[in-house]
Amino acid sequence: MTNYVSSALFVYTPDTKALIQRLQANSFGTAVTPVAIDDLLQNPQERLAGADHVVVAGTLDVIKQVLQFAREHAFSVGILPGETQKDLVRSYDLPRNLDAAVELALRRDAQVMDLILCNEQILLFKGAVGRVPLIDTPGAVNRPAMLVSAFKKFFGLKLLGFDLITAGGRRIETAACGCMILQHHVGSLASRLISHDSSLTDGMVSLVVAAPRSVVAYLRFLTRILFTLSAKHKRLPAAIGYVRSARIEITSETELDVFIDGRRATHTPLVCRTLPGAVRINIGPDLKEKSKGVRHSAERIDVDHLPKGKELLKARKQQKVPFFSYASEERFRDLFTALREDARINGAYLVLMVLSTLLATVGLYLNSASVVIGAMLLAPLMAPIVSLAMGLLRSDGMLARNSILKIMAGMAIALGAAALVTLLFADKPVTPEMEARLNPTLLDLGVAITAGVAGAYTKSFKEILQSLAGVAIAVALVPPLAVAGIGIGRGDLHFFSQAFLLFSTNLVGIILASAFTFRVLGYSPVIRGKRGIATVALFLALIAVPLSLSYDRIVQKRIIEKSWKKERFLVNGKYLIIQRARLSRRGGKELIFMDILARDALTRDDLMKFKQKIQTNFNRKLVLRVRTTYIP
Amino acid sequence: MQRFIHITLFMVAVIGLAACDQKPVVQPSGRTVKIGIVAPFTGTDRAKGNEGLKGIHTAMQLMPYLQNGDAIKLVLEDDGNDSVRSVKALKKLAATDKVSAILTLSSSGPVLKMADVADDYKTPILALLATHPDITRNNHFISQFPFDDDFQGTVAAQYVRDELLMDRAAVVINPESAHSRHLGAKFAQEFQTLGGRTTNMVSLSGDTDDYESVVKRVRRKNPELVYLPIRAKAVIRLVQIAGKMDWHPQAMVGDGLLSTVLTKYRKEARLLDGLLASDFYAHQAPLSAYGKRLKSAYKGNATTYTALGMEGYALLVNALNRCRDPADRACINRMIRSTRNFTGLMGRISIESDGKARRPLFVNAIHDGHMKYVVKVY
Repeated sequence: MTNYVSSALFVYTPDTKALIQRLQANSFGTAVTPVAIDDLLQNPQERLAGADHVVVAGTLDVIKQVLQFAREHAFSVGILPGETQKDLVRSYDLPRNLDAAVELALRRDAQVMDLILCNEQILLFKGAVGRVPLIDTPGAVNRPAMLVSAFKKFFGLKLLGFDLITAGGRRIETAACGCMILQHHVGSLASRLISHDSSLTDGMVSLVVAAPRSVVAYLRFLTRILFTLSAKHKRLPAAIGYVRSARIEITSETELDVFIDGRRATHTPLVCRTLPGAVRINIGPDLKEKSKGVRHSAERIDVDHLPKGKELLKARKQQKVPFFSYASEERFRDLFTALREDARINGAYLVLMVLSTLLATVGLYLNSASVVIGAMLLAPLMAPIVSLAMGLLRSDGMLARNSILKIMAGMAIALGAAALVTLLFADKPVTPEMEARLNPTLLDLGVAITAGVAGAYTKSFKEILQSLAGVAIAVALVPPLAVAGIGIGRGDLHFFSQAFLLFSTNLVGIILASAFTFRVLGYSPVIRGKRGIATVALFLALIAVPLSLSYDRIVQKRIIEKSWKKERFLVNGKYLIIQRARLSRRGGKELIFMDILARDALTRDDLMKFKQKIQTNFNRKLVLRVRTTYIP
Repeated sequence: MQRFIHITLFMVAVIGLAACDQKPVVQPSGRTVKIGIVAPFTGTDRAKGNEGLKGIHTAMQLMPYLQNGDAIKLVLEDDGNDSVRSVKALKKLAATDKVSAILTLSSSGPVLKMADVADDYKTPILALLATHPDITRNNHFISQFPFDDDFQGTVAAQYVRDELLMDRAAVVINPESAHSRHLGAKFAQEFQTLGGRTTNMVSLSGDTDDYESVVKRVRRKNPELVYLPIRAKAVIRLVQIAGKMDWHPQAMVGDGLLSTVLTKYRKEARLLDGLLASDFYAHQAPLSAYGKRLKSAYKGNATTYTALGMEGYALLVNALNRCRDPADRACINRMIRSTRNFTGLMGRISIESDGKARRPLFVNAIHDGHMKYVVKVY
């Protein structure tokens, strides 16, 4: 059964004076004595004498003043929130409806609560230091609005040096764009991040530190928040640190304004401390239920994701948050050791290169996709290419030079081996597997770029099986190289040049994509080897021209081949049905292979007329190859 | 400074390239060249005339002048698709209005009558719809823009024999229509030449005939396909009656009929599901660049008649442009008859020296109430 206080003071402001009558007419038997805030401030001792319970309605400053008195005079407090005080409503689980708020405010079961003082000013729910665009974003808004809000606040963000000292004497030196002090605040992403670990009576101040080290990290955090908005986060995201202590001292590199409960209140240095069980407030039943059984907890420091050591120095030097993050020192060291090793020519590489090319060449002649795939599994080309990408990115001359030598050696071996095998074969058929590598297009460049990203990515993480990406890269390199070698063996320049164009496309695409991936993953703060990368990019641009033309040609080819399915010809009274048409290009000529159905035998004159009709109606010179099936 | 130079060079290159793509602007000369249009704008066949005229007007929006700057003026004559009125219209346009050339949207019957006197007036006439093969015989001034019925009948028979692999076909013709008589006969002849058997050759004239007895007669011989070079209304009635008898043979019709069905008899289109037709165009076939321009300029659903109007006008203007004097009728006639590989809406069109057109034929079908492109025959 709910008990209500027998008497209460009602502290009002001119704006809330109208509530006096409503309170005095309460149906809970509570005698309500109104007191204007100005009157209370003038004679606090006299007005509060004998008061056990005070109901307050007014601005946050007025409420804080009453809480200050409550601390001194040990009375309980009921709060009637105004319509605009949404943070107050959410944080203290107060009813929005006035009748319900009055009922709650007059209850006799106030909850004992901690009071947080920041530079001796009461903090009701949140304080913000610096720019905290990530975590200060209201959590209650919808996803698109949150996204817009988060993006708006992000511009001009910079990491500043912060010193944090906890009650336990632990000092944390870091860089962050800002931090938030929370007192069971509900309604921001920050409060959502720590909601499982915060209570009204834990005797602790909670501090959430935002340190997005790059635009990419920020976006990743944002994505995570957006897609798990409804879920509580037990694990802190990468850009966030969390400190919980009875007292936290915050010092910043430069003096920063501190906003307490949405108003500029003080500046750094800032000392926030908690006064455990300092006040008793009538809070909503849900919050009260949650607060049951919460004990005073220990200090917690979770700052693994915050910049420290050399990273801290780098972060402080920067004018603004960079686009890409830096890789950790450990990862950086591991990767470079591996890449230097990969760039050296060794016996295993040469042997594997010979074997994979031989296998690929035989597979191509056999027109066997599975044998060609087997060759890709053997091919060791990924290692020097990825090393070359890093060498160019970081302008590491030795690494780049060794990698180039290794690639060139591999190329020479592959071309030589494939040419030799071709010379040994008496029969040199052009199989579909070979033909597939003679018309490189922009789509092949897409394959190369994807393979390059995969190669660099897997190389960056020891835990990922690197042979997977190795196969992806070999798909793009070994078969074209083998076909180019076959071209040499056949003495066919067109054959060689087309396959070599495909190989070059893939090589350049993989190098650029790998370099870009390393850059994104933070292995190079800037592109040092600008000239090297620019040369590769120029090659790519040059290669893109024939590739794009080739792509257009292929699109046209597909359109034409498709349209032929509905084309018919009446030639000298003979009806010709095109069953299938395949367009091909050889030696600068366009060949069309057609399967046609006809009832009557076709003469030379019929075929000539047929050819004329095609050339007239399709406006192109085509060499015709016709296979006729006669309708019985 | 270097950046400024780069930007300037880039701008110059872009403007240069854009300029290369621009066609020279025609300066109006202040002179006018007249083109006569003879078409049924009233009467039962008015859709042909009006739809065709819409096409001509659309093409005219894109080409209002000759290359020498002469403005093109249309002189319209309504013949109601009547032979006597067609000849009168020809006389008036040639002698009184002194048009440079005539486009006609009339059917084969009226155009055949015009053909009798065409040489007297020595005015080039481009027949946009008439497909009877005799239109270009015995005169030098009428050229056919569509393929003729010989080609159409042959292709239809070949398609039925070689693609549908059918052996027995019945033919229903309208004996009052020269086009229908000839097309039906040509189909039957070609079909038999290809080893097929024509089970019936039935005449059906006007609304008075007993359609039911016609259907019964045809059905009795059990043909796999019925070839119907007759009017749309008659085709619909025959199909309705056959449906009531629970008989659903494959049917095939001639040029322009699907257009009439889809414009005049939209509600009955579903009834004709599966009906095949030879035609000049197909809805889903790829358009040429000129076709795309016309399509974007034309508001509404273009029919076969609209498209023929668009193409025919463009081809005539092309011939006029090739003559130094756009009033030189002999030259215009020569130019029409030496048109080679003119790019139409969906393919190339040539007019031979005998006035016959060489252009692709489409076989379309009605599917779910819409025209569906089946094959294109060159």
